[in-house]
Amino acid sequence: MTTPATPSAHPHSPLSFVEEILLLALDDTTGALRPMPVMGLDYALAGALLADLALANRIDTDPQQLVVLDRAPTGDPLLDRALGQIATAPAPQSVSHWLGVFASERSTLERAALERLVARRILAQQEKKFLWVFGVRRYPTVDNQERVEVRTRLSALILGDELPDPRDAILISLLTASHLLARIFDDARYHARSERIATLARMDLVGREVAAAIDTLARVLRTATPVMGM
Amino acid sequence: MEITKTQHATATVLALSGRLDGLASPALEKEIDAVLAAGSKVLVLDLSALAYVSSAGLRVFLTAAKKSKTAGGRATFVALPAPIREVFELSGFLTVLDIRPDVAAAL
Repeated sequence: MTTPATPSAHPHSPLSFVEEILLLALDDTTGALRPMPVMGLDYALAGALLADLALANRIDTDPQQLVVLDRAPTGDPLLDRALGQIATAPAPQSVSHWLGVFASERSTLERAALERLVARRILAQQEKKFLWVFGVRRYPTVDNQERVEVRTRLSALILGDELPDPRDAILISLLTASHLLARIFDDARYHARSERIATLARMDLVGREVAAAIDTLARVLRTATPVMGM
Repeated sequence: MEITKTQHATATVLALSGRLDGLASPALEKEIDAVLAAGSKVLVLDLSALAYVSSAGLRVFLTAAKKSKTAGGRATFVALPAPIREVFELSGFLTVLDIRPDVAAAL
């Protein structure tokens, strides 16, 4: 994806997974990114992009490969560029392959999602000077309704025993994989439901692959860290 | 994929055979919606001849189970062949869906 992303066509359409994940990754008050594992957001946004394509019936997945079902444009420039990349690959590849490809395009995905959330008037863009010289850009919340609604829905799902719909199962899977869920729902009621959360998080293949990629990277980094004090 | 519908006294059985992938999923979803719209409270999905299920197919199963429960009924999945059971296990579906050994056990 080399060309810059443009905001989605309709400001009142439901949030995409890419937008939703980024919104939930930002702290409500400060507008700063919540702490996440190394490349946590990169893989979560890549997974969200694949989930958006899957729910638009453009791709399908199994543990071996990701296949294109329909090359017709979705009308969303971000999704259509990704779909074009997948469709023109010489052979079908695995989900983990495409997660790696799109995780490397985190800045494009993040910028596009931020632009869209600002265009929807959910976030505002704020420039601040740090030490009077360095520019720091923050995205404080203007309208918190979307965040409150999704958190209320996911909280009821975690604390209750209802079956999730596929959309919420994907969202919980991506949030769990990127360790964001534990940041968002951080109290004893949710800690007591860790088994339920694990069950919900397993339901989506892309989410499972995102978790595997992030965990593998964390293991590699732990192994590669030199022992101090020798 | 082929879908064979059998009406029992209190249940509708949909027997699936072949591959349930993203191309076949819309037809199954439409069939399930028609069964639920007709007021059937017990939907039995006979998977004994199902050879493959993709993520799109699993989403149809999950949606069917949720819609059935919301409508005050149930969706039961029966006669899972080993490869399908493996996919269900990987996805945690064995613990959240109603799974039974055969059609008779689901009626």
